[in-house]
Amino acid sequence: MKRQQPIELFMPPNMLKAKVGGGLGGIDMAAMKRAEAAMDTLKSEFNDWIAADVKALIEARAAYAKAPGGNARGALLRRAHDIKGQAPTFNFPLIARVAGSLSRMIGELPESTALPLGLIDAHVNAIQVIHKKGLHDTSDKIAQALCAELDARVDEVLAAAPK
Amino acid sequence: MSNYRFDRLKILVVDDNAHMRKLVVTILQAFGVVQIFEAENGERALHVLRESNPDVIVLDWVMEGMSGLEVIHAIRTNPQTPNPFVPVIMLTGHTSMDHVRQARDAGVNEFIAKPVSVKTMMSRLVAVIEHPRPYVRTGVYFGPCRRRRGVEEYRGPERRSETPKQQAAE
Repeated sequence: MKRQQPIELFMPPNMLKAKVGGGLGGIDMAAMKRAEAAMDTLKSEFNDWIAADVKALIEARAAYAKAPGGNARGALLRRAHDIKGQAPTFNFPLIARVAGSLSRMIGELPESTALPLGLIDAHVNAIQVIHKKGLHDTSDKIAQALCAELDARVDEVLAAAPK
Repeated sequence: MSNYRFDRLKILVVDDNAHMRKLVVTILQAFGVVQIFEAENGERALHVLRESNPDVIVLDWVMEGMSGLEVIHAIRTNPQTPNPFVPVIMLTGHTSMDHVRQARDAGVNEFIAKPVSVKTMMSRLVAVIEHPRPYVRTGVYFGPCRRRRGVEEYRGPERRSETPKQQAAE
């Protein structure tokens, strides 16, 4: 391809390094320990945080069911995506997996294709149950079977969707 | 022991989820960062950027309104941006290679896949301090060089294209 404009490659001065110093350029272990300790103190809030996230997901599901158009679909995706990213930090890896399945379905289905409300509900209900029962163990057989079933159903929906 | 003066840094944390912002801010404060600014959406982030000129931005991808990718595009190309070279660490629940490529092509410097850990946050912060990437300006791209290593030594065929890659909004 003939270029219309030259490519400019340059290295800006490293102002960050000049600002923070750090002779050896390695990981600051003392800062790491402080941060780990700060995270430990935050853990007492994690139960409230995941509860708030689950509540927001339920509300987003209700809003989508009421009016599927407009911003409701995007809001539902953002809530599922948030939970997928945060639930492992809150020690709910199973919730993260189910939320990941839900966000995959919403994100990969074409905008022109309506979301299957029944399958959304199956995901939201599963997340509620896992949260209420406090299931943290990823080796739980029933939870594994449930996650596998949801994944398979999402695969089916995506396979049937117009390309 | 690296003895970084993190207290001299100004960092902007952009995420529409208040819990995630609190988590990131807590980690950064424990690192010693004092000046931390928060924004709950892209529009607010650009406003704070103009007012505070942060040294580093930690940016969520999926947000209501402007997505993280749109925010980066504005940072790199908007003439009102005080520092188009500001390092951006993209924080996201997206983990596929395709998403990593999209983030790279949008001009992010480093990428953190959620869940956030102290170790990952430290390593990305150190990366933008110790291993800044050269910047590239073409007709269709401005941002950190997307070839992470060996730019100076590269002797292979020229593959850099002027053709814009389509970037999804999210």
